Amino acid sequence: MKIVRSSCIGLCTLAIVLVLMGVAHAQTPAATAPSPTTAELAAAAAKAPTTADLAKGDPGGTLTGTINDVPVSDPKAGLTVPDVATQVGQNKIAINFTWTLITGFLVMFMQAGFAMVESGLCRVKNANHTYMMNFMVYGCGLFAYWVLGFAIQMGGAAGNANLGGLQSLNSEHAITLFGKTWGIFGQTGHFLAGHTYDVGVMVIFLFQMVFMDTALTIVTGSCAERWKFLTFCVSSTIMGAITYPLFANWAWGAGWLSQLGVNNQLGKGYCDFAGSGVVHSVGGMTALAVCLIIGPRIGKYNRDGSSNPIIGHDISAVLIGCFILAFGWFGFNPGSTLGASANGNLRIGSIAVDTMLAGCTGTFGALLYMWMKNGKVDASMCGNGLLAGLVAITAPSGFVSATNSCIIGFVAGVLVCLSCAFVENVMKVDDPVGAISVHGTNGLWGVLSVGLFADGTSNYGGSWNGVTGSVTGLFYGDASQLAAQLVGISTLLGFVFTFSFLLNLVLEFFVGHRVSIETEVAGLDLPEMGQLGYPEFVFKPEPDVLRQAEREYAVA
Amino acid sequence: MAANKSQGSFYGLFMVALTVFCGGIAYWGEGIGKLLFVVGAAGLLASLFGMLKIKPLEGKTAMKPSPAVMKLVGAGLAALGWVITLFGMHITPSTGGRIALALVGIAVSLLGMIVVLPAAFNKNAVWKG
Repeated sequence: MKIVRSSCIGLCTLAIVLVLMGVAHAQTPAATAPSPTTAELAAAAAKAPTTADLAKGDPGGTLTGTINDVPVSDPKAGLTVPDVATQVGQNKIAINFTWTLITGFLVMFMQAGFAMVESGLCRVKNANHTYMMNFMVYGCGLFAYWVLGFAIQMGGAAGNANLGGLQSLNSEHAITLFGKTWGIFGQTGHFLAGHTYDVGVMVIFLFQMVFMDTALTIVTGSCAERWKFLTFCVSSTIMGAITYPLFANWAWGAGWLSQLGVNNQLGKGYCDFAGSGVVHSVGGMTALAVCLIIGPRIGKYNRDGSSNPIIGHDISAVLIGCFILAFGWFGFNPGSTLGASANGNLRIGSIAVDTMLAGCTGTFGALLYMWMKNGKVDASMCGNGLLAGLVAITAPSGFVSATNSCIIGFVAGVLVCLSCAFVENVMKVDDPVGAISVHGTNGLWGVLSVGLFADGTSNYGGSWNGVTGSVTGLFYGDASQLAAQLVGISTLLGFVFTFSFLLNLVLEFFVGHRVSIETEVAGLDLPEMGQLGYPEFVFKPEPDVLRQAEREYAVA
Repeated sequence: MAANKSQGSFYGLFMVALTVFCGGIAYWGEGIGKLLFVVGAAGLLASLFGMLKIKPLEGKTAMKPSPAVMKLVGAGLAALGWVITLFGMHITPSTGGRIALALVGIAVSLLGMIVVLPAAFNKNAVWKG
């Protein structure tokens, strides 16, 4: 028996050893022999142009950029499939970084357009002051956004696949109401320090910062020719630090408005592709709040309530400024995809064309309205029509067809004329550049138009605001999207306006918004800036009606 | 008196204090964060009171006091409209009902913004003489 048992154990041991050897034998060739793909990569690398080939020059561009330009992680192993895949991923992010940065640079250039439009629509005695407000709003806003605003807006906005995930922006303060969780403000990203010292975060900071600055500069136009420079600086700093970032968080930074779809089944939540609401309406609402507090310019209204036109000093600056803004808008809207590669971002062509068309029809809307009403073409109103069309298409540009963008733009062009007349003659609010109407009224129209015209053809990665599917408006079958947009509009009117109004009332108490009568009559350039905008100009006296009003104020 | 050195100084203080204040928020979890927060808040208040102190030196403006209650009513109406819209989302699950309540909310806000507030500010407007 012992012999049999020993034989069995021996056979079993032998069998196990043989099996293990077999496995080892089977694995060895797989580990050592190159897979076909790796072999193909090696062959392709061998066929690629050599250094000697490239040294001869490549005028046709057919030799530069080959497989040998792909970084290799392990020189001994040579180029592998993971190396190629890593490079593909980096290329996607690089394309998106480049796209987002360049479009951000375009938006930054819009500040020049705003400066020209606003200053051109003001009198020459206030030119330096108006230009300086547009110049300094960049600094005030940028600084405030760096120390606080960005963290409030984007501190909880992790998860953007276009820019590499932005995973360090992972802290959103949320509250629970009615059994649902609602984002209120972000909590990370102050000073871009700590974990937010990150390449992706820097890209989104730059892009979002220039958007914020656009909102701030809207207010400077409405309050031009009587806003104390000190109060402008403080007000703009606070707006860049708190007011704008708060609403932007709610819409774009994982805040509660963007969660209306997930939490309340309202479409895809509040949708504002590039900021008709977030940028332009926030600016417009704040402009209205400050304009109410600061009051009309001396001589704007007569005792019977009728208004006097106060003509700007440089219509050429106004129209060139409008063109600069229209150029910058190609950064504003197509750039808001935050990328050109993957996740449906090839729609950038459609977005750019929608932007062009809405600006065009907006101009026509204003031109035809004023021409038919007054018998003359009004150049400044045509400029405002162009801007109104662009403002209105900003929210829906990522979701609508070319035809619908034309309709949206045309309505905006007419609307801006009606709104300017209403603000000036009914509300008796003096808005020298029409910014409340261009940005406030038409920003709201843009937000609303998403809920009406979004056609359900866009597909940015298969979902929007965490809800699967495409953004679809009322005319294409989804009334709930309209409801979400109306909640956004109500928030802009009820929260943003009221918040801005109260903040600026506090500033009115502490600092005072308005310059003295003497300063206003003399023009703000010398008293506030210490230098005339155009020192060699001979000033033409103000019209009699304005001089009379100035005398009366001075006596009173 | 127009722009002057005091204004520049107090705005400088405001910006420095804001930076310190935000540093406090950023590092709230660490010991120094709370200290920065308090110092920054004190600096902000100091700058605002400094601006308040020099405000009368800057001369008379073309503005007259307007009724404070009316201004508060206007702002309150604007905010009330928003509250109506928010509660409307939870009062009814139907899309039509939510749209209707949102429109009511918007109308109430607009009443405050474009009717009551302008009337408040224009009641004693300088241009009325």
